[in-house]
Amino acid sequence: MKNIPRRSMDRIDQEINVSPLIDVVFILLIFFIVSATFVSVPGIEVNRPKVQTATSLQRNSILFALSNENQLFHGGQEIQLDEMGTVIENSDKKRDKPVIIQVDQWADASILAKVVAQARKSRSNVSIATRKPS
Amino acid sequence: MKRRLTAHQEQTEINVSPLIDMVFILLIFFIVATSFVNEIGISSTYKDSASPNSSNLEPLTFDLTSTGQILQNGSPIGLEEVAPIVIRTERESSDKVLLRVSPGSRAGLATQVMDQALRGGASTVKLAALSE
Repeated sequence: MKNIPRRSMDRIDQEINVSPLIDVVFILLIFFIVSATFVSVPGIEVNRPKVQTATSLQRNSILFALSNENQLFHGGQEIQLDEMGTVIENSDKKRDKPVIIQVDQWADASILAKVVAQARKSRSNVSIATRKPS
Repeated sequence: MKRRLTAHQEQTEINVSPLIDMVFILLIFFIVATSFVNEIGISSTYKDSASPNSSNLEPLTFDLTSTGQILQNGSPIGLEEVAPIVIRTERESSDKVLLRVSPGSRAGLATQVMDQALRGGASTVKLAALSE
């Protein structure tokens, strides 16, 4: 202590110590990188059916959308029914993510049944997204 | 002499402000990009049909015609009657409901029938497509 000149002591006291700030920001950054789950949204907006017993579905899911013209969408592009299995496998290789199907209320119900059946070949947990009960 | 000393001191310590800027930008990017898709819906978590003891029981069946009618045992019923029928039907596997939809019927109505069946106490609703 004695050896340090008086002037440099003053200098150290004056400037703000930013290292704890950097530490905290890095921890936040790492948290958000790790927790970032990039859900690929289907890419179209559908008119969901209104129901009464809707429950909250798992957040980290594989999303599909069935439009009112009976087209199946995933990740912003139209896919065919028989591509669903490979799409599910590609988007989630090892974990057992559930599948959520956003269906338009004017879509064909028999197509929906086929989509659900196809999704159930790969995943056991298949849900249909609905509107909030009001 | 004094000036040289301070200049020397400034050079030795690393300037961290660009680093902090960059880290902040990355942080904001990840905060914004973390999209939490919060969906609500109905999930009919039915067991696989491979389970042996449930296969011999005939499930309670509803049919959906292309004209938008709900049929139960061949007679048309209203949407609000689905839940009471499921409640009334006392069977061992009363929680098993089969909904058969014909091509051309609306998915919204099918979802509402499934919802009503779940409201009536069914735990598993199977959706099956009827061939024409």
